[in-house]
Amino acid sequence: MRIEQYKDMIYACGRCEFCRGFDYNDRCPEIFTQHWESSTARGRMAIARAILEGNLEYSEDLAERIFGCFMCGRCREECKKAAQIDVIEITKAMRQDFVEQGVQIPEAGANMAATVTSSGNIFADPPKEHNRWAKELEFKEGSGTLFYPGCLASHRFKEKTNILVRLLQAAGYRLDFLGDDQKCCGTPYWVTGKMENAKEYAEAYLKKLQSRRVKEIITPCPSCFRAFDEEYPHLLGMEKLPIRIRHTSEVLLEIIDQKKLNFKYPVNKKITYHDPCEIGRYRDIYDPPRAILNSIPGIEFTEMSRNREHAFCCGGGGGCKIMFPDYSQRVADERIRDFVETEAELLTTICPACEMNLTHGFYEADLDTRVLDIAEIMAVSAGLVDSEILESDYFPED
Amino acid sequence: MKFDTAMTISTVSLERTMMVDMKKVTALLQDVVSPSRVTDRDFDLIPYSRDLSPAEQKMPTHVVMPETKEEIQAILRIANDHEYPVYLRGGGTSHWDAYLPQEPGIMLDLGRMNKVLEINERDLVASVQPNCTWAKLDRELRKKGLTYLCSEAGGPAMTVGGSVMKAGGGPHSTAKFGFHGNQDIIALEMVLPNGDIVETGSAAWPSAGKFKRQCLGPDLAGMFIGAEGILGVCTELSLRIRPVTDISERLTATMKTLDDVIEFGHFINRHVGDEYMQGIYLWVDPSAPDVFFLMMDIFGYEQEIVDHRKKKIIEKIKELGGEIGDRAPADDYFGRILTGLADLFNTGVWHFFGAGSLRIDDITFLYKVWREEVIQKRGYTKAGFGGQILPRDWLAFMVTNYREPDDWKELVKMADEIDEITLNGPVVPYGIGGRDGLRRFVAERDTGYYRLLKTLKKTLDPKNILQRGIFIPEEEL
Repeated sequence: MRIEQYKDMIYACGRCEFCRGFDYNDRCPEIFTQHWESSTARGRMAIARAILEGNLEYSEDLAERIFGCFMCGRCREECKKAAQIDVIEITKAMRQDFVEQGVQIPEAGANMAATVTSSGNIFADPPKEHNRWAKELEFKEGSGTLFYPGCLASHRFKEKTNILVRLLQAAGYRLDFLGDDQKCCGTPYWVTGKMENAKEYAEAYLKKLQSRRVKEIITPCPSCFRAFDEEYPHLLGMEKLPIRIRHTSEVLLEIIDQKKLNFKYPVNKKITYHDPCEIGRYRDIYDPPRAILNSIPGIEFTEMSRNREHAFCCGGGGGCKIMFPDYSQRVADERIRDFVETEAELLTTICPACEMNLTHGFYEADLDTRVLDIAEIMAVSAGLVDSEILESDYFPED
Repeated sequence: MKFDTAMTISTVSLERTMMVDMKKVTALLQDVVSPSRVTDRDFDLIPYSRDLSPAEQKMPTHVVMPETKEEIQAILRIANDHEYPVYLRGGGTSHWDAYLPQEPGIMLDLGRMNKVLEINERDLVASVQPNCTWAKLDRELRKKGLTYLCSEAGGPAMTVGGSVMKAGGGPHSTAKFGFHGNQDIIALEMVLPNGDIVETGSAAWPSAGKFKRQCLGPDLAGMFIGAEGILGVCTELSLRIRPVTDISERLTATMKTLDDVIEFGHFINRHVGDEYMQGIYLWVDPSAPDVFFLMMDIFGYEQEIVDHRKKKIIEKIKELGGEIGDRAPADDYFGRILTGLADLFNTGVWHFFGAGSLRIDDITFLYKVWREEVIQKRGYTKAGFGGQILPRDWLAFMVTNYREPDDWKELVKMADEIDEITLNGPVVPYGIGGRDGLRRFVAERDTGYYRLLKTLKKTLDPKNILQRGIFIPEEEL
């Protein structure tokens, strides 16, 4: 069993329940949606221990508890203060155990991984659709700096992605793009535990990138960022991938710091920021997005009550958006309540998955405002895009 | 499910459990709360089978999440009809097996009864549901410039109900206010095992309000506080609150001998005790058993008063030959133990043993047990020794971290031996709990107190459905 390798951590759980938090709804989105203690990190460690001791078996019913984790890392953050249990790695190992033992996992999760294998992206879209956002943009094949949007940015946020690339290019970045050759980074494999082809997939992808002389990848997607920067080296037994991986949060701040563009148009809005789990808690990237927003003229920046390492998940993580859409929606609603409390006019973030789930949440809540990527705010201030995109009545074509 | 429950419960209990139609119980429970708040699935039951203590795993057969006292009444009715035990779960952080199912039974997860019901700023009373955490209550109170002050170790996950029902205290208790058993608990709302609802204190008078603990006949709140849930299910607590203190000072000192600590304790008791000072906190590390490290917080509303107390304390410490130290270690300790539990489990799971209340002068007894029996005789050098004056007595303990499962057997054996020695001395156990807790020590003594408690239990809970096996072994009833 995959969880054997985490035996010491599983037994290290002191059962303090700090992972659960002050209240059932303030930290963990899984207990917020599923209520039972089996939904907390403490509960999961108890379950893992029972499995290790032969007192419990993986079952189809159990899948809801293990695959219903949003992998937001909030419990892991708390456990850093107590027993330093890597709940996320243990959860991934449990999901892999499900698959390897032939126990039924949520159908949508299994389908998502299968779709990546068969079509190269999670939406099973054809390459023409896949590249529509790049229409009228020019790329420099072999420039060494690959722009890698990932599935969500390619397929669901065409305008946002187009604006991001225009911003990067205006700032002088010579970007390459894989075009029809672009495929999913592989995140659905490790999120759903379907790891049978993951290593070969990563190997082939790295080979493809190297043959194209890619020296650096810039991606707006925290999952893709972590896939290349963390999962690939792990799968391939490398300390580091021989390619520099950068999330746009770092690159966009570079544009500000190095004054690569002139941000002369004020954005006179009260704006707040949602910390994506996978760059926040996973990678401690909290300051760059805030520094960017604070450097744009006109912005009145305000924090949500739960921010930085305490930020509540958007509901889009861990594959829950696909496997448990109702839970995902409920978590988005809760996060949107944090936004509403701020009385901000715009919600910004820097993750396509968060943008999608929170946008869906806004539709559901019928809120008269928008979720924007930080790059869109920058593009407006730099005069690259009309400020109409800031308005609540603006509706992008995609 | 593969758990062999027969290994841990009596044959009589097992036979009785086997006679209960589990499916029928599930259906009945689903009728009185919604089906979504009843589970009998093995993976859902497992997390409720342990607490913070090294107690053996004990599985419930059902977990139910009630949201109202009426639902609890209905659950207790089902339990009585089937003579089936009901156990209570707050934050699940008991240190002595006080809230684990001693027999297969229904576990009430009170997690959804977690609201701050009212903050009465005029009467300075806050009413909460039992699973409201101390941290949540304090957060809401501080928004209004108020606080409760008296809370205990265990971090923000600790619930008010669980804490009060076992008469908790700890490093955040204060010299003036001490344990929860003091007058700070104004009123309780309890659902008795027969389903009757009892309100205590001024709330017992239907046309009055929640403002006073002792006012109508005997103090029934005191009967429930510390009973570990065997006499009723707490559904609401009203607590005395007060304005936050604006001024605080933190001091540390190192004393040369334990006798000096005792003298200092008496000084605190006589001269500072009835003030806003956190009880002095003693820590002796096993690596330096002759170094007596003290931490203390002084807080109040006026700088002059705080300065005055601080001056007196420093003078006394110097008079006793102690040394005032850097406050950083105390900041670190209190920060970790009160607000973050930081690093507490890095070297293994936590366990308190040899713990209890004792007179200020008697701390030497407990220290001697720790030093001679734990460190020297048994060679167990991982356990530290500590305590606090609250203010007129010690709450003292030995605490260690151990590795599960490898060190578990040795730890439990050692802790049991030390508890035996300790409780034969001038130490009153801090918590009782189930068969892996300290209940046997209570039963062995067969005191008038214990006999009265059994009478109360038999009267209020003739079928022994509530917390069966906690505090009082079933065969004693």
